[in-house]
Amino acid sequence: MTAPQAGSGAAGSFFNAHQRATIEAAMARIIPTDDQPGAREAGTIEFLDRYLSGLEFIYAKPDGSGFEKLEGKRAEAWEQRIEILRAKYIEGVRELDSRSQAQFGVEFVLLTSGQQDHILTGMERPSLQIEALVEPAPAGARSELVEPALQQTSAEIELDFFPLLALHTRQGFYADPIYGGNKNRAGWKLIGFEGPESLAETHAGRFTTLPFFAKEQIDWKGGK
Amino acid sequence: VAQKRKPERTNVVIIGAGASGATAAKVLTERGLRVVALERGPWRKRESFGGDELANVNRYNLWPDPILNPRTYRVSANKETKIEMFCPVPQMVGGGTVHWQGWLPRFTENDFKLRTIVGELAGTTLVDWPISYADLEPYYTNVEWAFGVSGAGGVNKYESSRSKEYPCPPLPTTRYGQKFHEGCRKLGYNSFPTPMAALSRPYNGRPVTVQSAFAQQHGDPTGTRSSALSVFVPDALKTGRYDLRPDCYVHEITLDEHDRCQSAVYRDADGDFIEQEADVFILGCGAIESARLLLLSRSSRFPHGLANGSDLVGRNATFHEYSAAVGVFEDPIYAWAGGGYVAASSYQFYEHDEKRGFVGGCHIASAGVGIPLPINWSLPGRPMWGAQARQIDRDYYNHSFAIGMVLHDMPQHENRVELDDKIKDAWGLPVARITNKIHENDLKMGRWVIDRNAEILDAAGAKKTYRVYPERVTGNCSHQHGTTRMGNDPGTSVLNKWCQAHEVENLFVVDGGSFPTATGANPTLTIMANAWRVADYIADHYQPARKPR
Repeated sequence: MTAPQAGSGAAGSFFNAHQRATIEAAMARIIPTDDQPGAREAGTIEFLDRYLSGLEFIYAKPDGSGFEKLEGKRAEAWEQRIEILRAKYIEGVRELDSRSQAQFGVEFVLLTSGQQDHILTGMERPSLQIEALVEPAPAGARSELVEPALQQTSAEIELDFFPLLALHTRQGFYADPIYGGNKNRAGWKLIGFEGPESLAETHAGRFTTLPFFAKEQIDWKGGK
Repeated sequence: VAQKRKPERTNVVIIGAGASGATAAKVLTERGLRVVALERGPWRKRESFGGDELANVNRYNLWPDPILNPRTYRVSANKETKIEMFCPVPQMVGGGTVHWQGWLPRFTENDFKLRTIVGELAGTTLVDWPISYADLEPYYTNVEWAFGVSGAGGVNKYESSRSKEYPCPPLPTTRYGQKFHEGCRKLGYNSFPTPMAALSRPYNGRPVTVQSAFAQQHGDPTGTRSSALSVFVPDALKTGRYDLRPDCYVHEITLDEHDRCQSAVYRDADGDFIEQEADVFILGCGAIESARLLLLSRSSRFPHGLANGSDLVGRNATFHEYSAAVGVFEDPIYAWAGGGYVAASSYQFYEHDEKRGFVGGCHIASAGVGIPLPINWSLPGRPMWGAQARQIDRDYYNHSFAIGMVLHDMPQHENRVELDDKIKDAWGLPVARITNKIHENDLKMGRWVIDRNAEILDAAGAKKTYRVYPERVTGNCSHQHGTTRMGNDPGTSVLNKWCQAHEVENLFVVDGGSFPTATGANPTLTIMANAWRVADYIADHYQPARKPR
């Protein structure tokens, strides 16, 4: 599989140095750092770069011992999907830079945080799907992307560049660390998710959430 | 066509090994019949499942891959058709029960006669069922006891009579279950522990269910949750009469010269076409895929699809819709504990009440706000990015939960499943095209119930609530019904009360396609109970067919 303007070619990597720095900078604005780690420290760029590198990092083995090898129709579908996503990112980086050049005279990575936010806001606005999310949902309105997994109506490859980048940043921040992001469980620590030590813990049935159940049991038959 | 030796004729072919197909297989094999099951997806063992939201929810590890198995959707015949993953269900042995968390409430007596109770509702095809609650009651009990369902009989004051208590007591109380219960109590509403396909005590040699955070929409690596895969498939295999063939995709059902089903023609994992003959054919592919297979099976006798002389195959499709009010609290809720769905429920708004201004009602229950992480879920109105989005994740994730509803969408003649005329799947067959326009009654019900849910959150002490009203049916429940509805009149139904095709004597459909109405409750317990009932009937009346010539 070769993509147009394929990246560094290193194993587990797709982006070239400039693409990688640009996307990393954008991700750092999507989940910014404050007194706690953000996307940059969590390594969401590593997560994405691996994902786009090919078929080697699509599914972790459920016990965390490595990654699944894809075959047959499944592999064909993933080749197709990765190809589409790569093209979106290559074009997305170009778009970030051309907007930055036009408005501030330099590439995106060289902008201040405030300028980067300005460019990203401009990238976000054209998408109608995103409009719905930016504004608080008015009574009676249900934006398309509020609960994408419950709806299962938006597939990654149908997303425009910006919502795709926002989704991948979020995935890299909160997904199991085995995928290269969520370093030191930065995402889980931020929100207070007391997750398993590793995929192996869940797989073996050792991960339990019972300590986070209620202290007292409801007496259902007692009437109160 | 067959390049391999044609397999031996069998008693019964069941297409699909999910909730309904595996139930039928268990019952028929235990009653001595030989069953060949043709399942289009893989036969995954529990070791292949894990606690990985990215793989399971985002990367189609369990969901059908839309590049291979797309569906299309349109609001109505004159509107644009789009590719959309409408109402997906895992396509594998175990089907939807592989990744469910397993809420198993029963329907009530009135569910089976709603048309009689409310009269005609304009724009709908509301009908009574040809069976009653009493017909199903023994089978509800059978499934609950086979699975070891955890619950408390009699606590739901709207529950219809039951012949036996639940086999296992309720699961431990979650904080979100407790808050829900508290809110209901303050408002004078009845609530009850959601009956669940999980073990609160060791049962039938199986250990207590592990309360991981990865449950709803994840497969179960421990095998401690109850499912078709962990209970009915092993039961059927134990008989030695269950020939379960995974990765076998049925393309067509053929007819013999007496217009009875003769064979299922399927493509196996090697891509070879195989023809399997049997005396009886049972479809259990889910309401969308069973309708699609019937429509794909055309013949001179049935030019518009098998058993479709009435033009009703695929019509009256209902899907429910999950929507919720979300409350934010001062104290931590940990709504990811137990996977977010070890819940408390209420049937307070389940039964029809004309004072509400709409027909029907639905099951409401407390639920989590992640699957379990906030990768695929966010607080309504959260911006997509930036410092504020991050702040919301941090402040709200451990402090909020949802009260969800199962929208009882009304059956409509034009809401249907057909074959798409342009899009084909990776095997070259036309995909299912769903046409669905939400009915005014559904919208009214959604608004009314979500408002009540928000009030329960307020009563439970929420400092802020968000209301998400259903606006259209997106298929987000993975529930599907009605496409081969059962009834007494062949002019207005596809199946008779035994889920046997009016027009084809040896053809049965046992999935949710047989449901004349959606009801407002999670359907799978009833799907399994009904499949058990039909399988009993088939076993009672089975006669070996004439020998093949």
